[in-house]
Amino acid sequence: MIELKHLTKKFGSFTAVDDVSLSIPAGEFFGFLGPNGAGKTTTIKMMTGLFTPTDGQIIINGFDVVHQPMEAKSTFGYIPDHPYMYDKLTGREFIYYMGGLYRMEKEKLKESVEQVIDLLELASWIDKKTEDYSQGMRQRVTFASAFVHNPKNIIIDEPMVGLDPRSARIVKDTLKRRSKEGVSIFMSTHILEMAEELCDRIAIINKAKIIFLDTKENLNVHKVHYDGNLESVFLELTKEPYSE
Amino acid sequence: MFWKVSLKQDVGTAMKNVGSFIVFGSFAVGAFYFSNFVTAYLLDNVKIGLFLFHRFVGMFLFIFFVTINLGNMVVSFSTLYRSPEVDFLLSNPVSYRNIFVIKFLDNFFYSSGTLFLVGFSVLLGYGVHFSLPWHFYPLAMAGVMIPFMFLAACMAVIVLLLVMKLASKINFKVLIGAIVIFYVFQVYLYFRVSNPIHMVEEVMKYYPHVDLYFGSLDPGSVKLLPNFWVSEFLYFYVTKNFVAVGGYVFLLVLSTAALFVFTLVLGNALFYSTWITSLSLKSMSVKKLTMKSSFFSFRKKSFFVPQTEVLLKKEFWQFVREPSQWIHFVVMFALLAVFLSSVSTLNIKLQSPELKAVVYLVVFIFNIFLINSIALRFGFPLISLEGNAYWTLKSTPISAHKFYWTKFFVATIFLVCLSIVISWLSNIPYLYARSVEGIFPGMKSVETPHVAVRTLAYFSILVTPVITLTLTSMNYGLGSVYANFAEKNPIRIASSQGATMTFLLTLVYLVLLLAVYLYPATAMFVNEARGTAIDWRVLQITFLIITIPSLIIIGCVHLLGLRSLRRDF
Repeated sequence: MIELKHLTKKFGSFTAVDDVSLSIPAGEFFGFLGPNGAGKTTTIKMMTGLFTPTDGQIIINGFDVVHQPMEAKSTFGYIPDHPYMYDKLTGREFIYYMGGLYRMEKEKLKESVEQVIDLLELASWIDKKTEDYSQGMRQRVTFASAFVHNPKNIIIDEPMVGLDPRSARIVKDTLKRRSKEGVSIFMSTHILEMAEELCDRIAIINKAKIIFLDTKENLNVHKVHYDGNLESVFLELTKEPYSE
Repeated sequence: MFWKVSLKQDVGTAMKNVGSFIVFGSFAVGAFYFSNFVTAYLLDNVKIGLFLFHRFVGMFLFIFFVTINLGNMVVSFSTLYRSPEVDFLLSNPVSYRNIFVIKFLDNFFYSSGTLFLVGFSVLLGYGVHFSLPWHFYPLAMAGVMIPFMFLAACMAVIVLLLVMKLASKINFKVLIGAIVIFYVFQVYLYFRVSNPIHMVEEVMKYYPHVDLYFGSLDPGSVKLLPNFWVSEFLYFYVTKNFVAVGGYVFLLVLSTAALFVFTLVLGNALFYSTWITSLSLKSMSVKKLTMKSSFFSFRKKSFFVPQTEVLLKKEFWQFVREPSQWIHFVVMFALLAVFLSSVSTLNIKLQSPELKAVVYLVVFIFNIFLINSIALRFGFPLISLEGNAYWTLKSTPISAHKFYWTKFFVATIFLVCLSIVISWLSNIPYLYARSVEGIFPGMKSVETPHVAVRTLAYFSILVTPVITLTLTSMNYGLGSVYANFAEKNPIRIASSQGATMTFLLTLVYLVLLLAVYLYPATAMFVNEARGTAIDWRVLQITFLIITIPSLIIIGCVHLLGLRSLRRDF
């Protein structure tokens, strides 16, 4: 369960996220859409503890991210938009490292590492140093490291960057399965088709504010007013006002 | 709004610049007074004479030359062969000749900016002592110091190009080993040939007439070295032999120009082909790494809690798999071993307690300086080296305190142990009895250090860990304050503006330490000379003067370091 209450982030006089409130129940696959610079990554960075909110609250599994960061962070796995890793570690070592940070016991961690390696089909190259990986390989290892401690919530920023079609399929199937198992998934993406395919509910953020929030079923009703696809709805909602 | 934001940024930038200016300015003033004081103290109080003084300057310049040379070599390897910027430039219509020249000059000026400032301040302190005319300074800087430093940089790049050329035929690790052995041997040979102890003993035979020119004592091979030319330039300027001054300036400028031209020719001929070689070296390192056999394997269970365990293992692998880290470490360690093997057998027959105290303090402060250099090079970049992967620590349930202290203790335990070993080895001549030549040939006698001298040695071994802890804290804590997660190269992190500021602050601490240590060191050697009892209060007060401010500094830098981890990433 993820809750954002009146979340605001300001950088000087610039407001990047303005009074955003959302609630994602357990097992929901939530899509977070928006144009470049709308505030998606800033919202996610606040949810994961990388940024401190200027105002508002983030509750993950009943824990406040700012005031109970250790408890809150134990309950989620995070996949950033840029899958940076330690260049000199191998993919397998990186997954072990992440499992250790989540305080996993060694025997359980070993078992879990092998599972995620199998799940994401990483075995053939996982023992090479990550500095030799492609963007897609890094992304897959980051997924594995986010899944390794079996989190109750998954927060993803642009999941498909650099993934080949087969990897993308594996990732989508895994996420769907986790969602059905009761894991809340908060996913930011630019790929509207993927949001339509996977998400139970979608929010659109533009210029720091939520401008659309509804279920996929209701979205289909909205779509009828346009030309029947999500892209048109998105473009209409996020278009720049005409000014002379 | 734009104007408001710009104004805020300008004020922030201006504040930072003013802060930097104050620190750099204060340091320049401090370096001036320090150099002025040391010159006056050695010449007027200890009366070692102009010749011996300039030979010490020459030895200091030799270490300086080797340091610049090695520093430039390691930085050049990273910037010429492992830099994404070079990859990018080579994919554009920029000739590799231009890339080589630009990166070479960039390296030199990037890593030498502070050294110019320090060099000038030191020259000023020196010149003021001798009341030298204004034209000494531009001539000494442009005609001597800058060519001297540039010469070291050119030599570094020449060696690097040749090593990279050979790397296509000889194993790279073997080549690195050969380079390390070569440099260690070079330093060893220099001190063996120049034999400072012998020189001091020979010159002191003429005491108090030590202001004569004892050039006949200089070994012939040492005269071929640029550090000798610089020290001779200074000596002859002070003694107003301007023909010799002109000769040495000409020699330095000509040698530097010739070597620069040679560097350009060699760069033109070898840079691109060696860059291609560096790619194949990189691809050769792409291999599967097994985790099973190693003690530091992530699979193996340890007695640490999981978070501590993975942090320690990650630090270990990042260090041993990064060539710019372990190569630099091996080189520094080898030079340290040479230095320690020399000082642990130091046997200078001096009569004056003041001169004995000066020799003791020089060795003591050089030990501390070495520890500080290692702390700066390896401790300062520790937080920055988390790099863009820092998100893993910010987004997982590990507290900033735990992560901060775990990394700090790794560095501290190593440096404190090292400092104790260094301190003990360098104090061996002051701690243990040894046999010395007797009056008659073949006769040997046992000489036991006086109790006051032994006490001073034990005292130094006791305070060294406190000093090391302070220096490690300053470098690590301020490394956190000035963390730059975008820079991957540890050498560039350790020579960034923040690192330079930290270095200057640690030097201020070292100078104050030296000032505090001067009195007890002299007092103990006076006790030895006069056979008087030790005044324990001197040592107790010295201990408190060192420890209390050190603890305050440690507390302050760690508070700042931890606070900086709260920043948005």
